[in-house]
Amino acid sequence: MSVAGATSEELARVLHGRSRTRRELLREWIRSRTIANTWPLLLGAAGFLAMVGLQQAIEPGTQRLLASVFMFIALAQAWNIIGGYTGYASFGQVAFFGLGAYTAAVLMTNYNVSFWIAMPAAILVGIVFAVVIGVPLLRLRGHYFAIATLGAAEGAKEIVNNLTGLTGGGSGITIPTFGTNSPTPYLGKPGFYLAFLIVAAASIAIAAALARSRFGYAMIAVHQDEDAAGSVGINTTWVKVVAFAASGAIVACVGAFYGFQQIEFYPQDVFDSSFTVLMVIMVVIGGSGTVAGPLVGAVGLELLSQFLRVNLGAYNQLIFGAIIVAVVVFFPQGVVNFFRDAWQTRHLSILDNVRRYRL
Amino acid sequence: MSQFLQAAAYGLVQGGLLALVAVGFSLVWGILNVINLSHGALAVTGAYVAWLLNTRFGLDPFLAIPVVAVCLFALGYAIQRWLINLVINAPIFLTLLLTFGLSLVILNVLQLAFTADDRSVETAYASQSFVIGTVNIPYGRLAACLLAVAITAVLVVMMTRTRIGRAIGATGMDRGAARLMGIRARHIYALTFGIAAALAGIAGAMIATVGSFNPTTTPTQLTFDAFVISVLGGLGNMYGALVGGLVLGVAESVGGLLLTGTWVNAIAMAVLIFTLIVKPSGLLGKAQYSGRV
Repeated sequence: MSVAGATSEELARVLHGRSRTRRELLREWIRSRTIANTWPLLLGAAGFLAMVGLQQAIEPGTQRLLASVFMFIALAQAWNIIGGYTGYASFGQVAFFGLGAYTAAVLMTNYNVSFWIAMPAAILVGIVFAVVIGVPLLRLRGHYFAIATLGAAEGAKEIVNNLTGLTGGGSGITIPTFGTNSPTPYLGKPGFYLAFLIVAAASIAIAAALARSRFGYAMIAVHQDEDAAGSVGINTTWVKVVAFAASGAIVACVGAFYGFQQIEFYPQDVFDSSFTVLMVIMVVIGGSGTVAGPLVGAVGLELLSQFLRVNLGAYNQLIFGAIIVAVVVFFPQGVVNFFRDAWQTRHLSILDNVRRYRL
Repeated sequence: MSQFLQAAAYGLVQGGLLALVAVGFSLVWGILNVINLSHGALAVTGAYVAWLLNTRFGLDPFLAIPVVAVCLFALGYAIQRWLINLVINAPIFLTLLLTFGLSLVILNVLQLAFTADDRSVETAYASQSFVIGTVNIPYGRLAACLLAVAITAVLVVMMTRTRIGRAIGATGMDRGAARLMGIRARHIYALTFGIAAALAGIAGAMIATVGSFNPTTTPTQLTFDAFVISVLGGLGNMYGALVGGLVLGVAESVGGLLLTGTWVNAIAMAVLIFTLIVKPSGLLGKAQYSGRV
């Protein structure tokens, strides 16, 4: 039978293949699992359980330190979605952090709402803010997008700073955490350890799921060539805004937990642009556009900066800056990408790597 | 009314100073396509050189300008030639990160050497002023502003009339073609960055004369102002930074009169976002650079 004679139903069957039930799909998915395509999942689950177990063995002070490592894992994963996969280097992600912290804090302080309701509300605020500023700003590219988002973050900070009636403005906000009038009892160091661990694990899972989905390929296509992506039928505006919103939602959630952990904070604390800078540094140094990159970058850099702060006092910022310069020069594509390529090509040369982007 | 005139006059002289900071930033961005986050740090380095010369040898800051310019040019040339050139072809946020790391290093060295205290270069004339009608104009700021205009004019002549200036412009337009014409791109890039650093240093020396500076908050503010002015004025045109600086100076100064609280801090942001949405190529930007938007 010629194609011209086929009915549209027959053509659809040829194009889409035999329709399969959900049950069949699930069975085939399970059958197709091997060690080669399951090991990241197994490793992740093992790591998560190991961290849960580790909590029993360490002091509260160490738990607090690791909680901040987990926090940066989540933040770096979130930045990687918009900055790494989609290729839009946002320098204003701290806006979501601050908005998340303030949404949760205002709801808990002024309206006596439980944290477990305030936190989803913070995520919602993050998504709404991402859509509102994402639609106009995501039309810009490169440096212009980077700085426009930086401006948006400063703008958000000034709004929070000047809505004195609601947020307390420059005199800060204090969440009632102890006593009978607190909406949710304070979680304490062990509680926040678990909370940030779960948030970090969830952000890794979301990033991994996004990266392997059809949407993930759309993000990568937008990164590589936005015009070409548009010409093959990808709605690039939709992809960019959704990626920005997903990133903003994770950051807002982390911000809500951070605000609750801090109890008392000021606008300049939670809108501190060094949070954004750290997210970017962690992703770029670890390896942008990979799931493992932000994880490696966040763990490595946060532990390093804590170590420098404790042991080197006045020199810690100096050495931190020098390390950033050195890593950017020696591993411009990120540590994870460098070692993966070195493994795949069986060729490990840092000197060749330095030559990659030089003039 | 006189209040507004005063604010506008103050804004203009302040804007001239900001323009001097931004000219170099805009030059590096336009030619090298690098956002130099260490620009503010270089300006503060220049301020410290002028301050040192003044406190040690009693040298007038305006006479210290040649020394500052030479020191900063050497520093800038070295940074570009042996560091930024190594990652110049990488994705944009790498140069951002590299200059951010550099800025951390420079500022912490300054802080360890000179502490984080506010400093300023004291001169007999900087605090004096003269009066036109009801408007009060300080000598120091006026001199700094006129210097900014003069330096911009010299830079324009250099960029359009000299071989080196044309080589810089050509490299900015098409590096590959420029190299085929025998232009040493590595050297030209380093030269451009060196000139920008020298201009930043001069601006820093002027800031030290008319106000105070420190190694913690001043550099961030300067880098950000330079950014806003470059976007507002547009890339690829030396006058862009000058016009952008004057507009921003007046906007902030008049806005400070009308707005209360900390809303003043948001003026630069508002100007930035408005420009990006309405005319991303800036007031005087050239079309060839709008493709980067």
